[in-house]
Parts: sequence; structure tokens; C-alpha cells
Amino acid sequence: MSPEAHPAPRSLAEALRARDDASLSALLRSRPDLVTPVPTDLTQLATRAGTRASVLRALERLDRFALQTAEALAVAPDPASYDTLLALLAGDAGDETVADALPRAVGTLREQALVWGEDDRLRLVRTARELLAPSPQHPSPTGLGPTVQEATSGMSPGRIQEIVTAAGLPSTHDSVSAMTALTALFTHRKKMAKLLAGAPEPAREVLSRLVWGPPYGQVTAEPAAHLRWLLDRGLLLPTSPGTVVLPREVALHLRAGRAHRAPEPLPPAVTPAATHSPQVVDATAAAQAYTALATVEELLKDWDEGGPAVLRAGGLSVRDLKRTAVALDVSEPVAAFWTELAYAAGLIASDGEADERYAATPAYDEWLEQPPAERWSRLAQAWLAATRTPGLVGGRDAKDRALSALGSGLDRSAAPEVRHRVLSLLAGLPQGGAPDAESVLARLRWERPLRGVTRDGEDDLRSRLARWTLSEAELLGVTGRGALSAHGRALLGAPPAAGPRAPKSGGAGTPRTGPAAAAPVSGTPAPALAAPGASASVSGAGTGTPADAGPGDKLPVHHHRPPGRLAPLTPAEQALATAAAARLLAPLLPEPLDHVLLQADLTAVAPGPLQRPLADMLGVLADVESKGGATVYRFTPASVRRALDSGRTATDLHAFLTEHSRTPVPQPLAYLIDDVARKHGHLRVGAASAYVRCDDDTLLNEILADKRAAALRLRRLAPTVLAAPTDPATLLEGLRAMGYAPAAESAEGDVLIARAHAHRSPPRTAPEPVPDGPPPPDTTLLAAAIRAIRAGDLAATAPRKTVGEQPAGGELPRTSSAETLATMQAAVLTGDSVWIGYVNAEGAASQRVIAPIRVEGGFVTAYDHTADEVRTYPLHRVTGVAELADD
Amino acid sequence: MPRVNGPLIVQSDKTLLLEVDHERADDCRRAIAPFAELERAPEHIHTYRVTPLGLWNARAAGHDAEQVVDALVQYSRYPVPHALLVDIAETMDRYGRLTLSKHPAHGLVLTSTDRPVLEEVLKSKRIAPLVGARIDPDTVVVHPSERGQIKQTLLKLGWPAEDLAGYVDGEAHPIELLEDGWTLRPYQRQAVENFWHGGSGVVVLPCGAGKTLVGAGSMAQAKSTTLILVTNTVSARQWKHELVKRTSLTEDEIGEYSGTKKEIRPVTIATYQVLTTKRKGVYPHLELFDSRDWGLIVYDEVHLLPAPVFKFTADLQARRRLGLTATLVREDGRESDVFSLIGPKRFDAPWKEIEAQGYIAPADCVEVRVNLTDSERLAYATAEAEEKYRFCATTATKRKITEAIVRRFAGQQILVIGQYIDQLDELGEHLNAPVIKGETSNAQREKLFDAFREGEISVLVVSKVANFSIDLPEATVAIQVSGTFGSRQEEAQRLGRVLRPKADGHQAHFYSVVARDTIDQDFAAHRQRFLAEQGYAYRIMDADEILAES
Repeated sequence: MSPEAHPAPRSLAEALRARDDASLSALLRSRPDLVTPVPTDLTQLATRAGTRASVLRALERLDRFALQTAEALAVAPDPASYDTLLALLAGDAGDETVADALPRAVGTLREQALVWGEDDRLRLVRTARELLAPSPQHPSPTGLGPTVQEATSGMSPGRIQEIVTAAGLPSTHDSVSAMTALTALFTHRKKMAKLLAGAPEPAREVLSRLVWGPPYGQVTAEPAAHLRWLLDRGLLLPTSPGTVVLPREVALHLRAGRAHRAPEPLPPAVTPAATHSPQVVDATAAAQAYTALATVEELLKDWDEGGPAVLRAGGLSVRDLKRTAVALDVSEPVAAFWTELAYAAGLIASDGEADERYAATPAYDEWLEQPPAERWSRLAQAWLAATRTPGLVGGRDAKDRALSALGSGLDRSAAPEVRHRVLSLLAGLPQGGAPDAESVLARLRWERPLRGVTRDGEDDLRSRLARWTLSEAELLGVTGRGALSAHGRALLGAPPAAGPRAPKSGGAGTPRTGPAAAAPVSGTPAPALAAPGASASVSGAGTGTPADAGPGDKLPVHHHRPPGRLAPLTPAEQALATAAAARLLAPLLPEPLDHVLLQADLTAVAPGPLQRPLADMLGVLADVESKGGATVYRFTPASVRRALDSGRTATDLHAFLTEHSRTPVPQPLAYLIDDVARKHGHLRVGAASAYVRCDDDTLLNEILADKRAAALRLRRLAPTVLAAPTDPATLLEGLRAMGYAPAAESAEGDVLIARAHAHRSPPRTAPEPVPDGPPPPDTTLLAAAIRAIRAGDLAATAPRKTVGEQPAGGELPRTSSAETLATMQAAVLTGDSVWIGYVNAEGAASQRVIAPIRVEGGFVTAYDHTADEVRTYPLHRVTGVAELADD
Repeated sequence: MPRVNGPLIVQSDKTLLLEVDHERADDCRRAIAPFAELERAPEHIHTYRVTPLGLWNARAAGHDAEQVVDALVQYSRYPVPHALLVDIAETMDRYGRLTLSKHPAHGLVLTSTDRPVLEEVLKSKRIAPLVGARIDPDTVVVHPSERGQIKQTLLKLGWPAEDLAGYVDGEAHPIELLEDGWTLRPYQRQAVENFWHGGSGVVVLPCGAGKTLVGAGSMAQAKSTTLILVTNTVSARQWKHELVKRTSLTEDEIGEYSGTKKEIRPVTIATYQVLTTKRKGVYPHLELFDSRDWGLIVYDEVHLLPAPVFKFTADLQARRRLGLTATLVREDGRESDVFSLIGPKRFDAPWKEIEAQGYIAPADCVEVRVNLTDSERLAYATAEAEEKYRFCATTATKRKITEAIVRRFAGQQILVIGQYIDQLDELGEHLNAPVIKGETSNAQREKLFDAFREGEISVLVVSKVANFSIDLPEATVAIQVSGTFGSRQEEAQRLGRVLRPKADGHQAHFYSVVARDTIDQDFAAHRQRFLAEQGYAYRIMDADEILAES
């Protein structure tokens, strides 16, 4: 089926019908909202693609140049030819860059069904035109006013003739031809130049003020001479009393034909602020990745015995966040990031008990057992996909409620997309290049200009997201020194950077590495080999061979997907990419050490990460004083006591220190341990539930000796006191059974047993990302959807059994109201579906297939197949009804 | 995995850990010393701290951010966190954006190379009253009298100003070093040179390393009238004695300005005490600063500088200022005032380094733990909180131990140092030794010190009056029985008593007698931490061991 076989399409639906499947699936992929629910036919698809919400959504996702193209089309005559459009964008002088970029922009608009029609008759869909065309209420971004035709629509014919005459044109017999002549004059560059050459200087000054918009100006009832001059010639036209407008044609002439002051055909380049050697970047990122693991572990350890309480509205209280920040020795926003990261990775959750607290999930214990690189990749994957944005914590939502960490209201559906986009932009830089943050933001704004509107000088959400992404990526070790690391690149599924540039050394503020730092990576697999499959699977997104397209070529637009742009990965691809990243990261992570250095000032320094058992033990025996590449521990009486409390003896501790110290154990430390051990356990505390007291210790001896008392597990605490772990009632009963006559004492002094140690929530799943709108459909769904649409389309065009006269193709069925009622009622009885014509409150007509359920009070309640739900229609709005053909 | 096996580990809290036994440790130490403050120097890993003040000190000494970053990256074992490097560069960049200088027409002006910074600081309410007219967008007049104030305030705002306004020469006075049979030690010479080159600033040298000579050397450089501020009268005499001996100055040229004498001479030595005496809400002795056109002001023991002296110092910014101290650690945390008003650190040598060069004696530090008797324990438990320390610090058991130690070192010069007069009197009685305390007259003090120096007396019991600046060269053993709670610098000073090189090469001993399981022990731990961090490891012994030994 070749598109050329069709005549020029007369509507969007026809244009869509002419598209091939690949092209349709490109449309549905870029505008996923069109496919949920699956439209029944192409006409419906076209209608849905023309709805305001959908068009707005599509416009918001256009890049700046595509948007500028659409804006230019909105001010161009409808339909406009490709050349007209090019002239509007490139100006009279022409612009190579614009001319080169325009086919892509038009292609994008076509692909998204915002523009249809052949090159000589390009049409912007009506809704988009309404949204983008200038009106007094919504000044266009182009800054252009209405056309002469529009601006003079309410003007008296006499006045129009005056203007025509003043402009030096022969008077005509009617207003329409007068306006046509005037428009022709205004659009004729040479004649217009001549006309303007005669303008007084102040008049030209007025024009130059209005030319780039806003085109409206205020005039007094008695305008000055130079304004008079302009008004007389129609160079300014009155819109309302006191207001004049610069007609579009005049403005375009003054602008040398350009609709935009500055067309931006090319995306602003992301510029590197500094370039570091890739080794330094990877090493820094790996070190940071390790820190990330340590921090999350520390956070969870801090919460191990029962984390902070869950606020009633959900989330973490400001105080708890502060406390956590202090415990982690980071700022509060950073603490919020770690907490949210652990939450997103499913490592913490609410325990769901009556006094709700946060606790580690069982998944945390599994996570802890994994090798470091895998632990990291789990965090990184969760971070990439999360819609929760910790950056918002501490701010307020639209209702002025405080946004708390782990609380609700933190989901921002744009987050994963921006995160992915920022990282891909980083991946586009030469290896080791750290971007200038502003250039990244500028690029993002270019890509989504409508989303990037700034208010009051404050950054918009996308820019803020981008900034957070840059800082979070650094915290997580995805980037190092601001540049994307090799494992970060793998995480994106990007191919390893081709041809690493020679590391630039020096440069102001760029730290250099010693020669040893740049030593060749020996004994590790080259990064290129370690990222298998990932790159191949990604390139599959842009299928087909890129067609060498001419200007504004009609179809198939989907081939123009710019190469090198990384598409977000499917979950399966992401898992592969993450695993590849973990493999790259693993050899960079420091090897845990098995020794520390002990010093006489009662500190121990671990000159690197420690093996877990060693770290755990030292964590009990000493307090951590400083963290980073190394860990400094300080021994205090309290910390040593803690170790003794955990069941170690002084001998154990001495042996432990001797074993793990590279240096002799300093005397003060040995002394400290002995000194604390000497006092430890001098006082004894225990729990007992009941006691037996008797002044006669012989009687107590007797009880202890009695075999029947064994079950009571009595223990002698003092000559006259026995303690039992059973409750007083059992004890009383037991003693009575043995033939004694004990009396109960008041319950005071009853000791409660402490509760269990570690605190866990029930099994929880990690929070699902909340995307904005439906996910882009996959190929299978797309194929199915297209099949369904085509089938529906066939059905819609199939012959129908009609009651009244046969409606012409595409027209609504027309029947008299009596017939309509009768057919409906019959359909209710038979349960058949019927085909109706319907005009809604706005007067828009549509066709629907409904199965009437009930007809009463002038309304028909029916299951609407088209909308896929039960609806009620007023009968008087139904233009007619037809039974569906049986075949 | 290839990794630079550097000696330095950079921690996230901006401390630097230096592995001393590493082959490149010395190079690294030299590279980081300009900007990092040595915080702890125990045996294996030394801890340096990078603070804004330290970074600005480095800037003042002519180092730039790139050198600092370079030093960190070059010697670091693990990759240095990017954020830290950025932070260092930004912090260092703040110094010198603002400069104070002399304008030929307008006098003292504050100039900025970065206009927004100037705008920012001028907006501050605390700066507004200190400045005058704006001469041009980058320059604003500063009232000459507010030179110190504005530096102090700018530092607090985080934009330390570089003071290039220069110094007045002061009234010239010939001063020469008389190097007959001795010379300035290399590090002293270096200290003088650094100070003179920098204009104003602080020289950090351990006790016993000859700070007085650095003062004398600087005076010989300045060759102008000099005001020396010291902690007390004994110290003033010591200075005078030393200056007469080491320089061309004669007794008549040196005046003492203290509670007893009010002499103003070309070189005047004043005590902090007399300067900070307040009568009817005013400081009557302030005119001392204006009584002569001083060319140099020397502050001894800068870490003890009382707050009012800072206030006076703020008005003396046009004069060269030399601060001398053993430690920049101040118990009151006013390090930043020292930086902005006296000047950046110009020279610094760790104790161990000078000890290694043989200029100060190594010491054996021992903490002796004594047990309270059962009745004392009960009494201690029931004592009021404010009495507790006194109670445990003066336990009778300490006397026995002190006697045992004195017996053990019989024949050597022994100092017994304490806080509580009753305890000292009792000790003096039992040890048959003279006691120097607050009420002892200065003449009597000097007599006793001389006798001790001559070896006529071998045991001297002193209260905290002897804490500072007295020079007892032949003391080889110091026994500390009680102290001013947990004061770290007191501990340092006391240890300093025995650190001076001994003529006979005896090892110095420093004993601290502490009551076990009391706050005395806690205070001792706090005090010792400073010394342990300086590399003076304490051994801990039980009283029984000492008693058994003797």
C-alpha cells in the first residue's frame, strides 16, 4: 500500500488512514494517551488526536523548534505551503540552519498528527491552531497580531475605503476586495518599503516598538500626527476604543518575514565545564558509590531497633529528619535523599503497627548479604525509576502543607524522564566531561519549552529536577567530579564512550592526578567488553533504515528519530544494563581490610573499609568519630562497656584487638578495657516475675529441694528470697499444690521482659513509580491496537441496514423522532446495538454505537461501545438511528 | 586494582589522616601543613583539619586553591570527594575578594575585585556603621579607627579581608640580638622571617621551644619601640631578664607596667591583668597603648588573651602585631578573633618535630590512679556537685603516692603542682618543701625559683600561679595532683615545665595523680587527650604499682 495511491487527504482522519502501520505506531508511541482506551477506528483516533487535552499534551512535549514551527504555522494562512512556512521561520534573508532543521520539525509535527497534509497544503490541526494563534486574550509567543482581514472585520466600509485610498491604492467597490488589495500591498516587500519610506520618523519609531510584540498599543482619542499617519494607512488598526494593533502583515514586513525574533533550530549544546581523566571520574564515582552504600547501611542501622514514628499524615517528622541528618553527619536535604532512596529501593517501610514506625524491610537483610556492586545497582536502579523526588522535602505543596520525607505528595511523574534525559545528555559529552549545569538546563528547556516556563524567576520543576539529578547522581556515585562514570553510562544502557579523549590535565581548578593515578588498568576487563547486550538492545528502539528525506517529506516520519538519543529502557533492558553497571563498578570498589591501627590517644584508625564482622565488632567496641575513606574509632569507657554488655569478656577484647591491630595495643587502651571490665557486672540486674519471701530459710531450703518445685524454676537470690520466672498466680498455685499456704503480696516490683531486638516491618513491596499518563505501549500492544482500529474502521464504513433513507457516506443517520423512539425501544427489547447520530451541547456531531438499556423521560440510557461505558443521551439530541447490519 | 598508595586519607568531615610511617609522609606533611591545622599527632596516624581559617591562613601565606587541591589529590589514597574539592576552592576564593588598603586621597578604603560581594557586605547592618562614602563602585571608605572592627565583622560574614593597608613604623629604637655563644635556632629564625614577611600574625611553638627568642628576634628586626603583653608579673620579669641577656637592650630601656610598677620605656612589658583592670566602668590603663608610638606589639600566650584585649587590639591595626603561643586552641573558641585581629598563623612547628631536633626533652607521661578509701567513697557520693571535684582531687591517698614518687626520684628537681592550697600546704609539710601560692610575694617567689634553679631546693610545691611562663630549666619531674578541672592548655603548660632540655640528659617525667572512678578521672582524661593527641602517650599505672616500686 503506497501512500501515493491516495488522493490528497481532506481531513486528519484521511491523512491517518493513508499512513502505514509503522507510522501509526510511531504516532501512538509518541502520544500514548491516544491508545487508552484503544480507539475503535481511525476517525475516532483522529477526533481524539484533535481534543484539546490531547493536543495540549502533545504541544507540551514538543521541542522549542518544533513548537516554533507550529507557532509559525498558526500565524500562516491555512493551509500553508512548506515554502511559506520556511519563509516565516527563516525570514526573507533565508537561514541555512533553519532550512536544514525544518524538515525534522515538520516531520515531528506530522508524526504526532499535529500537522497533516501534503507539502503544498500543510495544515495544523484546528485545536492546535486555536491554542497557538494570537488573540487579544492570549498573545502568541510570536508577538504577532491579527491579520488585516481579521482586524478590519468590524470596520465600516467607508473607513476601509479611506484607508485604501490613503495607502495609495485605487478605491474598490467592496470591502472584501479592498482588504485583499491592502493585504497584497502589505505583503509586497518593495511597495511596502516605499510606503514606509514616506513615514515620519516618530511613526517609524512607534512601529519599531510594536514590531516584536506585544502588538497592541494605547492611543488617545486625539492621536498625535505620526499615529494619525499610521492609522490612516492601516499600518495600525483600531481594535477597541483607545487600543490599536499592528497588523500581522505589517509586522512580518518589518521583521523581514520572520515569525520569531530568534528561531532556535538547533538544540543548545551541553558544554563541558571541566574535563577529568576517565580514571579519576570512575574512581571518584566508585568511592562515592561505596559511601552511598555505607550511608544507607548506617541509616538503617540507626533505625534498626525501631525507627522514627510515622506521622499521622504519613512521612517523617522534621525533627526525626534533623536527627537522622545529624546521625549521618549530612545536611537535611541530603538526609532526605538517603531516606527516600532506601524507601524507593524497598529497604524501609512502615511497620504497619498501631504506633506506626519506620523499619527495615526483610528485603534489607537480603540486600545486606549481596556483594557491594549489586547493592549499589539496586539503589541506582530504584533511583532511576523513582517518581518520588526528595528534593521537594521541606517545601510546601499547592495547599501549603509541608512536604515531609517519606510522606505523600512527593511523586513527580516527570522525575524519571528528566533523570534519564540529564544522564543521557551527560553521556553525550566526551568521556570525563563534567557539564556546565546551566547548559544542561538550557538544553532541557529547549526540549520542553512549554514545560519550562519560569515564574517569578524561580526555576520550573524540570529545571529543579535536573539540578537535583545532577547532585543526586554525584551522591550516588553515578557521576564522579560531575562527569558520568563508566558504570553510570552502563546503567543508562549507553554504549561505552567511543574513543576516550586524551585526559586533559591542568586547567584552572582542575585537579590533576599523579602519574600513578593514570596508570593503566591492568587485570580488569576493558569497559567496552563489560557492557554486553545493553547497547544492542537499545538501538532496537529506532528501527528501520533512515530515509534520506527531502524537505518536508510526507511519510514515514518515524524514520527520523534522531540517532544517539537514548530511549528509556524497558524493565528487562534496565535489569541487563544495571547488571552491566554492577560488573563495571565491582573492581573499582575498595577491598575491605582486616586490620586497624590502634593509637595511644584511644583511637583506632581503619585506613579503608573494613570487613563486615570486624566493622560490626569495632562498631560495638568503639564510637565512630570520623568517616570517609577511612574510619576513625574512639574507645571510651562507655563503648567498652557496650562491648562487654554484648557478651564479650575483657580477654575476648584483648585478643580481638591484638589480632586485628597492625601495631601493638597501646597500654592506655589495654588499661581502659581492664578498668571497665573490673567494674563491669559488679551490680547485677535481672528480671523475675514473682518471688517467694520467707524469714525461715529452712523452709526455703525445703522448697528448693522439693522435686515438685522444679517446674517453678525457683532461684535463690538471698537466704530469704527465691525468685521465679513464672507469674505470681502460677507460683501461688504451684506452692499450694505442694501443700504450702503462701499468701500473695501486692504486685509491685513486677518486672517486664524487654521486647525483641531488631524491628522489621511485614514484607513490603517497594512503592510503584507513578508515571504521568499511560506508559508508551510496546510493539505487541501497538500492533494489536492498530489491528483493532483498522477493524473498527472497516466496521464503520460497512453497509448498514437503514430504516429511513440511506445517509450519504460519512453523514449522520437521520430519522424522525417517532422512528428514533420506536427503534430504540425495539433495541431495548432485543438487546441489539444501534448506530446513532448525536449532537452534543456544543453542537458537535458524532456517530456512536450504543446498546440501549432503557428509554424513559426523553432520555435513552445505553451502553456506549464507542466510549466503552454506560451513558445517558437526551433523545432530542439524537439525529437519527440505524440498525447495524447483521453481517 | 591500581590505586595511588598515598599516605593521606581525606575524610568527609574535612579531617585529613596522615599515615606517619608512610614513605611519602614527610612530603605530604609539608604539602598540607600550610592549610591544614594539625589536630592530633599520636604515634601512627596524624589528624589534620581543614577549616576555613586554615584555608585563609594558606591564602594569606600566598598559596592558592589549586595548590591545596593538588596536594590533596596527589597524596590521597582514595579519590577525594568532589564536593570537598569544590568547597575548598570556594572557601579559598572568598579570601582577598575584599582588601583593605591605603588610598592616597581618601585614607583607608575597602576595595573589592568582585562587586556583588561588596554589595553583599555593605548591605549587612553590622558593616554599615563602619564604612563611609562610596568612592567608586568598587571602593568604599573605611573609618581608620574601625580597621580592626571591620576585619572582625567581615570574617564573621565569611568574606575575610586582606589587610594591605600597611603599618606605621613607630618610633625607632635600636635593638640588636647579642648572639654571643648562642644563635637563634633555625626554626626560630624561620619564624621571625615568616612573621616579618607577613607583617602581622601568630607564631605557634611548643612550650620550651624558645618563644621569647622569637619575640626578641622580631624586635631586632623591627628596631622600634615595642609593647610586650604577658600573662603575669613573673612572666614579665622573665621576659625582661631574657631580653637584657639576649639583646643590646639594657635594664633601663625596659619598663614594667604591672600592678606594682608603672614604667613606660622604649620597650615596655605589661601584664594582661593590669590592662584589663576596670575602674568605674573604664579601663584606666588603656592609655598605655597610646603613650608611645609603638612600632611592634608582642602578645605572649595568645590563647589566653582576655576578651577586652581583643577590643583594644582592634584599634591597633596599624601597628605590627606578633602573637606567640603554644596552641591556637582556645577554650573559649575565639580563634577567629585571633585570626582577624592579630593575624594569620605565620609559623607552626609540631612538638614532636622540635623534640626530634633535640631542642626540647622527651617526657615520660604517667597517670597514676589512686583509690578512694571506703569512707571517702561514701563521702564523695553524697558530696554536692560543685564540691565533688575538690573532694576527689584532694584525697589523702594522693599524698602517699606523691611522697612515693618524690622518694623514687630523690635528688632530682621535682615540681609538685596543684590547684587547692590546703592540699599543697599539706604536701609541702609532708615533703618538707616550700610552697609557692598566690599570697607568696614576688620577691619570695623569685628567691625560691632561684634556689630551685641553683639546686638548693630539690622539691617545690606550686599552685597554679606557676602555670605560665616561669622558666624552671632544671625540673625533671613534675607531679600534678590537681588541676583547673579539664583545662587542656593547663596540662600543656604544666608538661611544658619539664620539656626544656636537661643539662644532664635526664629523661623528664610527668606524673598526674588521679582519683579512680571519680570526675577527677574524667577531667584528667579530657586534659590528657590534648597531649596524647600531640604524641605524648600516657601510661596508666595503679597506685599499688607505684607503692610497690618504691
